[in-house]
Amino acid sequence: MKYRLESRLIMILMLGSIISLAGCNGNSHENGESSMDIEVNGKINAQLTSPPFVPDPIGSRPAKQVIVDMEILEQEGQMANGVSYIYWTFGGSVPGSFIRTRVGDEVEFTLKNHPDNKLPHNIDLHAVTGPGGGASSSFVAPGHEITFSFKTLNPGLYVYHCATAPVGMHIANGMYGLILVEPAGGYPKVDKEYYIMQGDFYTKGNNGEPGLQPFDMQKAIDEHADYVVFNGATDALTGDNAITAEVGETIRLFVGNGGPNLTSSFHVIGEIFDKVYVEGGKLINHDVQTTLIPAGGAAIVEFKVEAPGTFVLVDHAIFRAFNKGALGMLKVTGEDNPSVYSGTIQEGIYQPEGGIIQTMPGNKGAPEAPIAQSVSERIEMGKQIYARTCLACHQEEGQGIPNAFPPLAKADYLNDDVERAIAIVLHGKTGEITVNGKNYNSVMTAQSLTDEQVANVLTYVYSSWGNSGVEVTPTMVTKVKSSH
Amino acid sequence: MVKLKYIIAFLGLFSLSLTGICQTPTAMKPIKGGTMLPLYGLDSSKVWVDDFLLDEYPVTNQQYLDFVKNYPEWQKFNVKSIFADGNYLYNWRGNRQLGENMNPNSPITNVSWFAAKAFCACQDKRLPSVDEWELAAKANETKPNAENDSLFNQRIIESYETPNTYSKTVGSTYQNYWGVYDMHGLVWEWTSDFNSVLISGESRQDGDADRNLFCAGAAISASNLRDYAAFMRYAFRGSIKADYNIKNLGFRCARTN
Amino acid sequence: MKIKYLTQLLSLVLLVNLFACQKQNDSSEQYICPMKCEDHKTYDHPGICPVCKMDLVKVSSIKEAVLDEDGISDKSIFNLTSEWKTQNNETIHLNDLKGKVMVVVMIYTSCEAACPRLVADMRNIYAKVDNPAVDYLLVSIDPEKDTPEKLKAYAKEEHLDGDQWILLQGGLDDVREFSNVLSMKYKKISPIDFSHTNIISVFDKNGVLHYQQEGLGMSNDKLVEEVKNLNK
Repeated sequence: MKYRLESRLIMILMLGSIISLAGCNGNSHENGESSMDIEVNGKINAQLTSPPFVPDPIGSRPAKQVIVDMEILEQEGQMANGVSYIYWTFGGSVPGSFIRTRVGDEVEFTLKNHPDNKLPHNIDLHAVTGPGGGASSSFVAPGHEITFSFKTLNPGLYVYHCATAPVGMHIANGMYGLILVEPAGGYPKVDKEYYIMQGDFYTKGNNGEPGLQPFDMQKAIDEHADYVVFNGATDALTGDNAITAEVGETIRLFVGNGGPNLTSSFHVIGEIFDKVYVEGGKLINHDVQTTLIPAGGAAIVEFKVEAPGTFVLVDHAIFRAFNKGALGMLKVTGEDNPSVYSGTIQEGIYQPEGGIIQTMPGNKGAPEAPIAQSVSERIEMGKQIYARTCLACHQEEGQGIPNAFPPLAKADYLNDDVERAIAIVLHGKTGEITVNGKNYNSVMTAQSLTDEQVANVLTYVYSSWGNSGVEVTPTMVTKVKSSH
Repeated sequence: MVKLKYIIAFLGLFSLSLTGICQTPTAMKPIKGGTMLPLYGLDSSKVWVDDFLLDEYPVTNQQYLDFVKNYPEWQKFNVKSIFADGNYLYNWRGNRQLGENMNPNSPITNVSWFAAKAFCACQDKRLPSVDEWELAAKANETKPNAENDSLFNQRIIESYETPNTYSKTVGSTYQNYWGVYDMHGLVWEWTSDFNSVLISGESRQDGDADRNLFCAGAAISASNLRDYAAFMRYAFRGSIKADYNIKNLGFRCARTN
Repeated sequence: MKIKYLTQLLSLVLLVNLFACQKQNDSSEQYICPMKCEDHKTYDHPGICPVCKMDLVKVSSIKEAVLDEDGISDKSIFNLTSEWKTQNNETIHLNDLKGKVMVVVMIYTSCEAACPRLVADMRNIYAKVDNPAVDYLLVSIDPEKDTPEKLKAYAKEEHLDGDQWILLQGGLDDVREFSNVLSMKYKKISPIDFSHTNIISVFDKNGVLHYQQEGLGMSNDKLVEEVKNLNK
């Protein structure tokens, strides 16, 4: 009886799946022609690029057989200043090489596992319709290669990743990337295209702890990320690595989220996305401030940059941006456009009643930090703190960000008054100040640093970029602290 | 028929006398058997492992060189391709020469399963089974079973991620409870029945009870979802074939007690 | 029969023992790439390897052992020296099967799920190929239970009639080795059950693996065609 019931159940299930299969026969593109039937003509080698760059647009190219040759490399790289990590990569970068195809292409995919690698790997491409997205036919031991092929049926932006046990660990170590399947005729032309992918990392040492940091399984299971970054490292899209554009250009970002755990609230500070290809598919939404990108998902965002300046890319789950590294920069150069952005027009006094708690509850039990024994040691230690705490706003060379964050380099406001500078680091600063003749009206929160750390970071700042060179000692810091 | 047996026996002796020039057998340590729960087993049933002996160290380059000097059919250019693919002894300079910069006391790698099996047979030993190997490898420095020691597990995972450990000297990691060195942190090791690991590499599917693929599909779900180190070992075993020769894969021998 | 086995045994054992003897390949020297970039391709003059650009070396300088007297390829399954029992309780070695195309599958007789379908596939292939010059081998992965008697009964039950059907029992180690030659995986998961991959393999007359079909319920057409081609 039980058997019969089961078989009936199976029958029903099978029927159901037949119906649902029939329902998805619409793997069709605009003309209503099935993608399955698109004929391929000729053979080309796929151009693969490392982030933040993407291969040339497909445009009107007919469907072809596309040869993709990808090498898996397990290699050490820099996660943050002084922090390194053994990344597992598709093509030597995190995220892996960008693959660009069009609908109807027949992709012949060769996956090579470098002989120096220690582990077997495979690849699951979300663009593949077939068991495991190719994973079961691409399982490859170190020192071996494997070839499989698939036809791209549905246009869109898709994540690929390694699916070898333990899957979470392979993804957490950087094994993800994007494959784009353009619709027939391609996407509308834009001026600049870039490739960005968010990922969360779990290290044995906490955020900022220097040295080679191994993967921490427990933190990964608990979803306690130490780093949330774009393109595999905190500085992958900042400073000299920032992506660039000219005023008036239209920019298309192919944004993915490798996870393994966290969903991204992708936002560009100071921009509104004119168009978002929601979840990387066909649906287009307009005038979007923040778009959600799930782990193992992607989105295409487009916007025209109307004003020059540095636009900051963030995961707007904002502690990830300022404390875990999910921060990138788009530098736009060109003429000011006052009709779009005027700068400050009027300032007033805002004085609500009552105070606001500006300091975080003390964190007792934190490990003892080392104490600098000389000025040079103080500068060295201060540099590390600067990279972790100040660099995001005040920038690598202390140049700040125009109209947003004041410069520290050759800054009169800084050099004129050491005690004021100490007080600002200790207690934060809100409201208008004038630095080197320019007005800034911004918020800097109080930094939770020890007196020793405040002394170190300020000494570093004073000794750099043409500043006065004064040494700030912990005693000076303590004195400023107690005077308030 | 009787005659035939005699002839076989005679020839057997003859062959021993001609080729049995085995170097001094490598030192072994006794491992106490017991029940253990394999990562992939039938439902959650335990398996029994008898007492056995296991080599104290992984087999070294020098020991393997001595072996092939006496067994030309296992030399780099002589090996039959059914027994080893083109990466066999990849870094060696010749049939009787290690590669430049190869440390004689590092573990031998780039050897196939067939070759490892022949080496052990020559010392009247065999490769350990997956279950035997796993049982011995569960021990840390002080306990025969450190499975639930999270620090030990974290250490193993870290060692698996560390590159180029194959070039270290044998004995350079740690000696476990049984007196055996380098079970983790140096190289992966061949086991006699490594091809009993039926994972396809599509780990999310591997828990599936697919009777089309396997006679008893339910048998392949993992017993401990938190044992990442074991997942890595089993995934590795599932990805290899007996004629593969891999830079981070060596072996040690076992013997029934 | 006995004599045949005897000579084969003798030649085998002699081979195993005497590989240290050098045998020059004819009188003229052959040259080969020391990295074997082109497998075993040899040249009859010195030069450089077109693949890795290394100097070619004399074959005799690297070959201390020689190919089999009988010309068995070093990719051949006949290099396995293991001993097997047939369903008729005859003792054989794999190279006794030399000279015929072989279709090979590994099963166990108490298997109720996949193996009956695999055997049905084999019967199907047998019928489609319809050629007495092809052997059909069923190798048991459960040699502890699958004795020659049991295999004989199984053959009868499954209608595997005639000399072309050969069912084999081997030692545990030898079965494991054989499975590794086929890249077939199996695991004993209970006293009566095994999980295993379903692979049907085709070997040419020299025992070299020619074609494999993996999975159940596959179309046999390609495999049948390969078997027919090998017999042309």
